[in-house]
Amino acid sequence: MDPLMHNNQQLLNRIGLQHIQAAEQARQRQQFLLALPFMAPALLLVGGLLLLPVLYNIWLSVTHWQLFAGKDDFAGWQNYIQLWSNPYFDDALANTAIWVAASVVFPLLLGLALAMLFRQMPGQEWFKSLIFLPRILAPTALGVMWYYVYAPEGMLNQLLGMLSGTAVQIAWLFEDSLITPAIILAFVWQSCGLVMVLLLLGLAALPRDPLEAARLDGAHPWQVFYHITLPLLSPTILMVVILSVLAGFTVFDLLWVMGSSYPQQRTLSLAVFMYFEAFQKNSWSFAAATAMVIGGVVFAVSCLQTMLQARVDRMVR
Amino acid sequence: MKVRHILLTALLGGTLLGPMVMAKEVQLFNDKGFWTGPLQSVAKAAATNGIALKIAPYANAEQYKTFIQASVAAGRTPELFTWWTGATLGDLVATGQLAPLAGLWKEMEADGRFQPGIKDLFSIKGQPYAVPLQLSRWVVLYDQRVFTKLGLKPPKSWSELQTVAARIKAAGHTPFLATTQDGWRGFIWFQELLLRTDPKAYTGLNNGSVAYDSPAVRNVFRIWSDMYAKGWFSDPRSNEEINDFIRGKGVMYLFGEWAVGLLGKAGFPLKELGVFILPNAPGVQQAAIIVEGAPIVVSRKGAADADTMKALRFWVSNQGADTWGKASGNYIGNDKVPAPNTIISQVNAQLAQGHHTLFLRWWESVPATLQGEMVAEFNRFMLKPDMTTAFNVMKRMQNLNTTYWANRKKT
Repeated sequence: MDPLMHNNQQLLNRIGLQHIQAAEQARQRQQFLLALPFMAPALLLVGGLLLLPVLYNIWLSVTHWQLFAGKDDFAGWQNYIQLWSNPYFDDALANTAIWVAASVVFPLLLGLALAMLFRQMPGQEWFKSLIFLPRILAPTALGVMWYYVYAPEGMLNQLLGMLSGTAVQIAWLFEDSLITPAIILAFVWQSCGLVMVLLLLGLAALPRDPLEAARLDGAHPWQVFYHITLPLLSPTILMVVILSVLAGFTVFDLLWVMGSSYPQQRTLSLAVFMYFEAFQKNSWSFAAATAMVIGGVVFAVSCLQTMLQARVDRMVR
Repeated sequence: MKVRHILLTALLGGTLLGPMVMAKEVQLFNDKGFWTGPLQSVAKAAATNGIALKIAPYANAEQYKTFIQASVAAGRTPELFTWWTGATLGDLVATGQLAPLAGLWKEMEADGRFQPGIKDLFSIKGQPYAVPLQLSRWVVLYDQRVFTKLGLKPPKSWSELQTVAARIKAAGHTPFLATTQDGWRGFIWFQELLLRTDPKAYTGLNNGSVAYDSPAVRNVFRIWSDMYAKGWFSDPRSNEEINDFIRGKGVMYLFGEWAVGLLGKAGFPLKELGVFILPNAPGVQQAAIIVEGAPIVVSRKGAADADTMKALRFWVSNQGADTWGKASGNYIGNDKVPAPNTIISQVNAQLAQGHHTLFLRWWESVPATLQGEMVAEFNRFMLKPDMTTAFNVMKRMQNLNTTYWANRKKT
């Protein structure tokens, strides 16, 4: 041990630090026990409505669920093996990955651009309200609206027809290569308003001194943004990324409404695939296995993001 | 004297009011939220007979199925509820929770309300387990105004059908209306073409003995893609099938008779609506028609309850069937009441003449776990109706079919 550290330790022992620490721990334990009855309702609620169903789902995913008999014979890993060999699962997984990436990148880029643009613009409140407006629409209502925008004789084809001078009848929500980008566009339209507002809050909380100092030193606006604003804004950006990733994994309403006429609707995302397996095919244990896969991926991503969050917090401090 | 007077009055009042005193409330669970109004009409009519029928609808079929499955698994099967015929009914019957209704059907056939043959649609292994909520034949509804204008008559043979379609196309109209609206309609033309070209394959497809890539099925896709190539079908991407028919986007509409009610409500002049049964392809002699039978089933507990059986008997009675028919435009097969509309009476007349064999609709016949994926493949074909897509679709359907029957053997 470092001699300096050893001397410090001796000093601390002489003033009775261990006793102080022990007393502090006992006090904290007592406080926790005192707080427990007050926390109990919330714990019971979370445990009963969240943890128990998750545990039951884990059990269900390793059983054979008989349709009406309700028997749950142990099936081992069979549901998971069947999942990987299901012809629709690969497409659903790939589309979910596209969704997650798109739900992070596009709203973030657009939201950041809008936040920087409206930060010091006259009449900014009016513009901010307009951009945020789609966010207050229910996703199903939004989906129905965009469904008709994308319809073969809908607004988008009519507009393209006017611009091109010929009749346009693109089947946006029926073509394999077009449906996911089309729905992502609707999602970005709805969510960039919220991202913009969160980033504006982050920008408003930034210290002014480093920014002014950089300007006084002759830094170019882009240099100020890239070297000062962006790093200081990184905790907010990371929070936005975490929310966007979760949104990407759990998107359902838009896909359900806008993909209703698409033959391969079950491949649009893992969440939709799981719904079809559970409620259309009544394969509850197979759907439980799908839910475990989704949950596992989300958990892994959340852990990664938590580590990143801690690192960014340390960097900013 | 006064006491005697009071007692007599009470006795008289009780006798008169007795039938009006409500029996135990019988709930009819169903997933037909769009028919709540007509079902309430039947409940009101039942109330005048001392039957307290309460309509308990679920808006969504998936939610409803989950509710019934959970109830059956918990041993708390509802006493009276709607379900589906075919393989799905078989799964429910296998739980032992449903009451057989042979006695009731015997009564209904004996007094001529129901023709023999209808019972079979609601039977599993020869034993009936349900009565009809509605019985719908799948026919071709057509706009008589276009037929009259072009001097056409309903086709009675396959070649006449081709001629009629070609004449309609040549006159600038689209012969047939068919879409993938709501994601389930893809099987409609497939089932009809298969029945008209190979009735044995139609039956074999749903018991695993005929493959989805067999010659019979390949023939259907060849005919179907050929019809698309000739421009005989409307845009499958539309989400407004009923309105499309009214707007003239298709002259002929292959659908269940229950579409008549929807067309009427949407404003189509029903006196201009004609009907014919799609004729067989050359070489097929058997007169046949596809039937959709939505059943009402009763649990064993319900069958032991007098009020539940009273409600069920009312449903199939002449008064019940007539009320239901007038309110919803639906036919339950009771021949003792007037047909709810002229289309149904015309179909009845055509069937009586042709002695058609009733074939259960593909949707009910196919194993329930295959329904959604199979119909998605049919929809996929309709959106790109060429033989390349057809071969891919057939291959995928057969893979699903093979996996299902292989797993079924294991369990």
